[in-house]
Amino acid sequence: MSKRIEGPRWGWIVLTAWGLFAILPIIYFASIALRPRNEIIAPVPIYFPTLTTETWTKIWAEWPIGLYFYNSIVAISGSVFICLVLGVPAAYALARYKFKGNADIGNYILSTKMMAPAAVVVPMFFLFGKLKLIDSVWALMLMYAAMNLSIVVWIVRSYMIDIHPEIEDAARTDGASDLRILWEIIIPMCLPGIITAAVIAAIFAMNEYLFTLIIASKNAYPLSVALANFSGGSDGIIYNAIALVGFLAFFPALLLVILIQNHLSRGLTMGAVKG
Amino acid sequence: MTSNTLSFRRRSPFMRKALPYFMVGPAVIYLLGITLWPGAFALYRSFYTGKFKWDYAGFDNYTTLLADKHFWEAVWNTLLLGSITLAIEFVIALLLAVLVYRSPWVKSWRILFMLPMLFMPSAVGYLWKLLFNDGRVMADLLARLGLVDGGVDWMAYTLNARFVLVLVDVWEWTPFLFIILVAGLQGQDKEIEEAARLDGASFAQMFWNISLPLLRPIIAIALVLRGIDLLNNMSAVNIITQGSPAGATETLSYFIYRTAFRSFDHGYASAASVLLLIATIILAQVLVRKFFKSGTES
Repeated sequence: MSKRIEGPRWGWIVLTAWGLFAILPIIYFASIALRPRNEIIAPVPIYFPTLTTETWTKIWAEWPIGLYFYNSIVAISGSVFICLVLGVPAAYALARYKFKGNADIGNYILSTKMMAPAAVVVPMFFLFGKLKLIDSVWALMLMYAAMNLSIVVWIVRSYMIDIHPEIEDAARTDGASDLRILWEIIIPMCLPGIITAAVIAAIFAMNEYLFTLIIASKNAYPLSVALANFSGGSDGIIYNAIALVGFLAFFPALLLVILIQNHLSRGLTMGAVKG
Repeated sequence: MTSNTLSFRRRSPFMRKALPYFMVGPAVIYLLGITLWPGAFALYRSFYTGKFKWDYAGFDNYTTLLADKHFWEAVWNTLLLGSITLAIEFVIALLLAVLVYRSPWVKSWRILFMLPMLFMPSAVGYLWKLLFNDGRVMADLLARLGLVDGGVDWMAYTLNARFVLVLVDVWEWTPFLFIILVAGLQGQDKEIEEAARLDGASFAQMFWNISLPLLRPIIAIALVLRGIDLLNNMSAVNIITQGSPAGATETLSYFIYRTAFRSFDHGYASAASVLLLIATIILAQVLVRKFFKSGTES
């Protein structure tokens, strides 16, 4: 009887087919990371290559991979930190205080998420040029924070609204100040929401491409754009290095997403869809 | 001492009124820095031409832009590729979501389907560039199935190149919609489904008559968010096609990027930026108010 609620019998065929479509390119990509250079591009594609770890040795020997990792980690974690410092108090004000302009400010913050990055890429290039921040990891950090701030505010706000106001009222009667209530009661209670916001902001920052492309030109390359560097003149694009670095960025993202998997839809919709 | 200061703050009517503004203020100022300021700068810059020396040009950039075939082609491509991709992703994501949302394996399916989304878009771009172009894997597979003879030139024909871009996006981002739709379906009351089932409704009837109408607001939000991202699609274009053949896959984001950072025509790119900014401001006003709820109640 319970079968019908789970859907039609042909369902698993569709699901398996899509699962294969999702995973086969990834497996092929993994095999690219683990094969020697001369087996990547062949007259007939090689589906079962010789396995080797030479790419791993190669990326460390030929490119400043350590620097790329360092840049990614600094820019991403710094941007998440900025988002939380600016975003959590803002979220609390929007969630709790009835003040003039609450809805308008909330809408404005969200509308920055709808803005096309390409529309501001030229001005931002000039701004960072003026600030002498072109090719600086600080510029990446500031830009990632700006792009993710709206998301963080709205996710955290949605979790804060769900906390029962009576808890705060009780603390207030005991003489606690608003900021102390935020720090000691609200933030611990909506920690899952804050973590979700932080993870999503980190992944979006890792994925950012357009601004990274115009800001970073050598010293500030993070992983997302450093990939384009894996091409050496006559060698063309060095796909096994790209694949390997792609996977090195993939695994932390996977771990983070598994950590927040039950909050994922809420995070991706900025709190609009719960569950 | 501390508790005195705090309770003073708590009672001061000015502080009570001003506190929320102090809390949202820094975030709002930061965001104005990436919206208001760049908008004003782009507007100003759009009245000047010249690559490195600025010359005042009045509305020249705008009149040239509005007569520029490449600009309109980029606008059209953005809308066309965006809407086709969004439609395909939505249909697939909805089908997958309906099939798994009451399955005991839903979490495993979700992780499996989500994997493509967790690669950096630049890595995804290179992966598919390899599969289609450089490694000739797709042509080889099609040939093995007997669908084509020999090689396929994916970048030489409009249809082929557009197909590649749509496929790459569908592969990477269908899970985004899937995750949201599954959550929406799971949030629905199980008892309604049980009742409908006892009344003898089939799975398809239940979906069309009960689940889908309830899911409508969530579908709207999911489509808005994915649609916005699709309008900004640029990494795959830059890595895989670079607009080829003859601009048939050039999106508006790529047009601005190419004009500003390949041809260094910042004034011209700024004019396009201003038009795009105006369009997104109007769009954001409508979408934010219609689909998201602000204020202090959930």
